[in-house]
Amino acid sequence: MTMISRAVLPLPLLLAAAASSLSFQACAAADVEKGKDVFATECAECHSVREGKNKKGPSLFGVVGRKAATVADASYSDALKASGITWTPDKIDAYVTAPKKVVPGGKMKYDGLASAAERAELLAYLATLK
Amino acid sequence: MHPILSGGKTRLSVIRHTAGLVLAAAGFLATAPAAHAVPSFARQTGQECAACHIGAYGPQLTPYGVKFKIGGYTDSDGKGGKVPLSGMVVASFTRTAKSQDPAPDKSSPNNNHSLDEASVFLAGRLSDKIGAFVQATYDGIGQRTSIDQADVRFAHTTEVAGKETVFGVSVNNNPGVQDPFNSMPVWSFPYTASALGFGQGGAGTLINGGLEQRVTGVSAYTFWNNMVYAELGTYRSLTPTMQSRLGLGKGDDMGRLGGNTAYWRLAVFQDLKKQAFNAGIFGLNSSLQPDRSTPGSNKFNDLGVDASYQFLGTREHVATVNTSYIRERQTRNQLVATDGADNLKGRLNEFKLNASYHYMQTWGATVGRFVTHGTADATLYSDGFANGSPNTSGYILQADWTPWGKENSWGAPWANVRLGAQYTMYNKYNGAKTNYDGNGRDAKDNNTLFLFAWTSF
Repeated sequence: MTMISRAVLPLPLLLAAAASSLSFQACAAADVEKGKDVFATECAECHSVREGKNKKGPSLFGVVGRKAATVADASYSDALKASGITWTPDKIDAYVTAPKKVVPGGKMKYDGLASAAERAELLAYLATLK
Repeated sequence: MHPILSGGKTRLSVIRHTAGLVLAAAGFLATAPAAHAVPSFARQTGQECAACHIGAYGPQLTPYGVKFKIGGYTDSDGKGGKVPLSGMVVASFTRTAKSQDPAPDKSSPNNNHSLDEASVFLAGRLSDKIGAFVQATYDGIGQRTSIDQADVRFAHTTEVAGKETVFGVSVNNNPGVQDPFNSMPVWSFPYTASALGFGQGGAGTLINGGLEQRVTGVSAYTFWNNMVYAELGTYRSLTPTMQSRLGLGKGDDMGRLGGNTAYWRLAVFQDLKKQAFNAGIFGLNSSLQPDRSTPGSNKFNDLGVDASYQFLGTREHVATVNTSYIRERQTRNQLVATDGADNLKGRLNEFKLNASYHYMQTWGATVGRFVTHGTADATLYSDGFANGSPNTSGYILQADWTPWGKENSWGAPWANVRLGAQYTMYNKYNGAKTNYDGNGRDAKDNNTLFLFAWTSF
């Protein structure tokens, strides 16, 4: 009985945990899909997500965690080169919100994305690019 | 003159001889100019064609393309060694509902295959602040080579009231060719059309191609906060000798442009990324002396309003609407004095409305409505017109396929092509639905099927 109890009692918890995990993954997947759309709308004119494919701006493949101004064969402003930034999610979020505030003198011609939800979705998508 | 307009010029040559400059203007606009989207810009910026052009081809600009043009064609990916040269070839098949009699110059009465044009472009950044879009074209129908559209500009970006502001100067050869939006005559739909068809009638306003390539002008412009655009400029006619040197031919000289010619433009623009719009007004005030050796000129005051809307979304589904209305007031002193017109005053108005949809920046469909309406004048609008009326109206339908020009496309950024089918239907042509030319030809007889292959590299 004890054995059965041990086996049975955790099951609802396990199911709940599994459901929660699936739900989280579904939400995350949804965020990534939405983020892909945000990227297409806001970023894709100047940035590719293909590794090594630089447009006017550098490839954003592997951007999360990357040190700024380090993509080979990409062109950067002196301001960004001197910024010492590492593209953590927080830093990307701040930069996408107001590029010229984070990197004064930078050359990215983008006014910023005001929606926090869209930035979160964009970050979820960028995090998959590795 | 643009080669694609050669058919229209031929049709109107009789009118031009009798009516002088009003129809010298009209003669240049019987068909729309061919479009320009050149891969050298893509090579310079590192962008794909689709970044700047709706449907990845043609002159209909995205907000990014609008800003690139205002910026003087100088934006780049920061890498050197880019050669600002491109080429373009347009070939086509034209079939009209009823054969033309007489046949267009150097062509058959119907079912014509043609090499419409082959062009080379100096297009791109010449220095940090100077860029160019200069086209030379071989006209496969007129069989001659000449200067085509030209726009060389300087642009400087600074801040005014804490907002990014561009100050620029354009030197160009066609009023409106320097305009960054998609609704003025030079750059509006149809972006290419048959040189052997019937265009949009036998009469048109001065700003609708009436001066193209035969003038040179300079204008100063500003673009404040990516929102407000303002421009002011003036033009002078090229001398017949200069026109001849540029391959345009002395015979088509439109005459001397008045020294008081003014071109102006005001517009508001919003780029919301998912969508964009612009609305504005523009004008061209001028006079033309058709016979350079004899005093006497005619005045033109063109005033236009225009607007565009673009739904851009994720660029998978892109829809646009463009419209313009031009009202021209004519004062025909020279024409009346030389018996080229009955009425000293006259009006000519043009309306255009078109809507397009593109799927995956590859498959496109466009529908357009055009209406030309003016006051009647039995002498001015005589041969080839009914009721002394310049009125023409109709619809244009186009379907096209642009397989390349995207990030992962074959040959990017060197090759692009558009294949299209265009059908123009006329409700009214040169003043009447039926028998507009007095020889039994109806407006619908001019309905034109135009199949084209248009490539650039």
